[in-house]
Amino acid sequence: MYTLQLATAGLAIGSVYALIAIGVVLIYKCSGVVNFAQGAFVMLGAYFTYAITRLGLTPVIAVVFSTVLMAIAGAATERLVLRPMLKAPVVAIMMVTLGVLIFLRAVALAVWGPDQIAFPKLFPDGAIEIFGIFITYNYLTAGSLSICLALAFLAFYRFTAIGLMQRCTADNSRAALAIGIHTSNQISLAWSMSAALAGLGGTLLATLNGLSLGLSDIGLIAFPVIVLGGLTSLPGAVVAGLLLGVLQAFTDGLVTPMLEGFLRAYTTIYSVGALQQVLPYALLILVLLVRPQGIFGWRGSERL
Amino acid sequence: MSGTRLWISLLVAAAACILTLMLGRFGNYLMHAVVIASISALALNLLTGFCGQISFAQAALLGVGAYTAGNLGNAGWGILSIPLAGMASAAAGALIGLPALRLRGLYFAMATLAAQFIFDYAFKILDPLTHGVSGLVIKPLTLLGYVVQSDRAYAVIAIICLFVTWLTMVFIGETTLGRAFLVVRANEIVAKGMGIDVARTKLWAFAISGFFAGVAGALLAFTTRLASPEAFGLSLSIDYVAMIIVGGLGSLPGSLLGAAFVTLLPELIQRVGEALNIADILSAAREMAFGLLIIVFLIFEPRGLSALLHRLTSRDHANIAPKTPRPTSERRRSELGLKFEKVE
Repeated sequence: MYTLQLATAGLAIGSVYALIAIGVVLIYKCSGVVNFAQGAFVMLGAYFTYAITRLGLTPVIAVVFSTVLMAIAGAATERLVLRPMLKAPVVAIMMVTLGVLIFLRAVALAVWGPDQIAFPKLFPDGAIEIFGIFITYNYLTAGSLSICLALAFLAFYRFTAIGLMQRCTADNSRAALAIGIHTSNQISLAWSMSAALAGLGGTLLATLNGLSLGLSDIGLIAFPVIVLGGLTSLPGAVVAGLLLGVLQAFTDGLVTPMLEGFLRAYTTIYSVGALQQVLPYALLILVLLVRPQGIFGWRGSERL
Repeated sequence: MSGTRLWISLLVAAAACILTLMLGRFGNYLMHAVVIASISALALNLLTGFCGQISFAQAALLGVGAYTAGNLGNAGWGILSIPLAGMASAAAGALIGLPALRLRGLYFAMATLAAQFIFDYAFKILDPLTHGVSGLVIKPLTLLGYVVQSDRAYAVIAIICLFVTWLTMVFIGETTLGRAFLVVRANEIVAKGMGIDVARTKLWAFAISGFFAGVAGALLAFTTRLASPEAFGLSLSIDYVAMIIVGGLGSLPGSLLGAAFVTLLPELIQRVGEALNIADILSAAREMAFGLLIIVFLIFEPRGLSALLHRLTSRDHANIAPKTPRPTSERRRSELGLKFEKVE
């Protein structure tokens, strides 16, 4: 029962990870840029929602507004920062997105301060019992909402005309240009969709964990997720996100107490700290070394 | 290395020593902050600028150096603990570099990012060696039986270490190994074709770079007297990558310029902020300026400060604008001197 309880909590968090990671994959597929600023988008989305509810609007409208604002922020980042660096080498582009991360974090620090802020309640308090497992409404709605959003996005990407243009651009931008797709607009669109998804993820995470600058660090979890999922695979990112969420919950709830018991008995180390936070990164190295194409990538995406 | 260059470096080092003896407490603090950052930036430049391996784990290597030096220093090893800290970091560097034998560019950068987090975590939980989150308190350095107390003495020791690092970097640039680094950076397949053992070359780059990062970490440990996990986090690693990019990848004087710039800029903003009475958003302003600086530099002067200075001081105005502009893609790539395979 305890295991199931952990698994559901893990799935809820994991589906938010999936939402954030989809954005990174989207940008990477479309423009070959690895966006380290995704964490900043996650954080900013949550702060926007908070700021708008402070203006007196209802939570639902606040979320919609913040998503629109995030879409604009994403497109603006692409136009102002990434567009001038279109053909720069990978290392320079990675660094410039880190610059964006640092800058946006500092903006949030200046506007909202370093302290944790009580996030407005988007969902009612309380919990329900399903098959003997207690889930708070928070986790239930955040989890199901983000998994629905992730699946809806996958459907959008697969079945609509815009999704098709996105896929063309990602597949071969030169050929896409030749058949009349405005590829740079598509790249801007990918950035705004990605930032909007990240912002939504941030809002949901803030309802679960509270609002602070630390949300931008949680955004980094997107990287283990996308490596595990195969870097270019959107469904892979979803599955890997869920997997990591559950794995983290198990590590926190089962492995850590066992390991600490063992270590206390035999060594002078009495705590293993936040093992669940470092685990995804250990997994990242392992996956890169053993199966660099990720669990859902294909051989073609391997670059050795 | 030519005689003239040796003499110039020696003169500069001597001048820096004399300068630091004349400076006050704050001046000394700035001096050794810049000098230690320079050592570490030179080390990272060897890895990224020369050998083309981008690393976000530099702070982890500094941390390994700091904890090693701290433990050895507390156990009474004296000045020997500095080179030994270098050795420990060299080993850690080679360990971090192992995935580089299989991975390239972006993938490797992610692996170093993960390594940074794992080391960070290790610093927190290896209580017997690191004293966990509270940090390891370090006794002052003992040098030939004397306990070094003054800031000036530490600054002079740091300058001597920087001088040795500088000479080593210049020397390496002129050896076969240094040339091999450049070939590996340009194209690994060509390097193999030329008979270069790519794996061994990369591991050397990691070990040498790690050694000097460890020395920098040791100096940092003895001057701050405390090694704690949050001092060696990802943000410090990002600072170092920023230094070598702002200074100019692959340029030795550039690394020094970048280190000085990135270290002194926050101090400058601090002064200005105190003057303008905006103390409450000061740390935010500092970070904002830092982020903007990175963005602006990469967009407008991807070759960094060293190229900018060269252009400003050069009397040959013809090279301000190339007569026949090459396509942007080609220019940008060669300006950074780095060619990673574009990942599809």
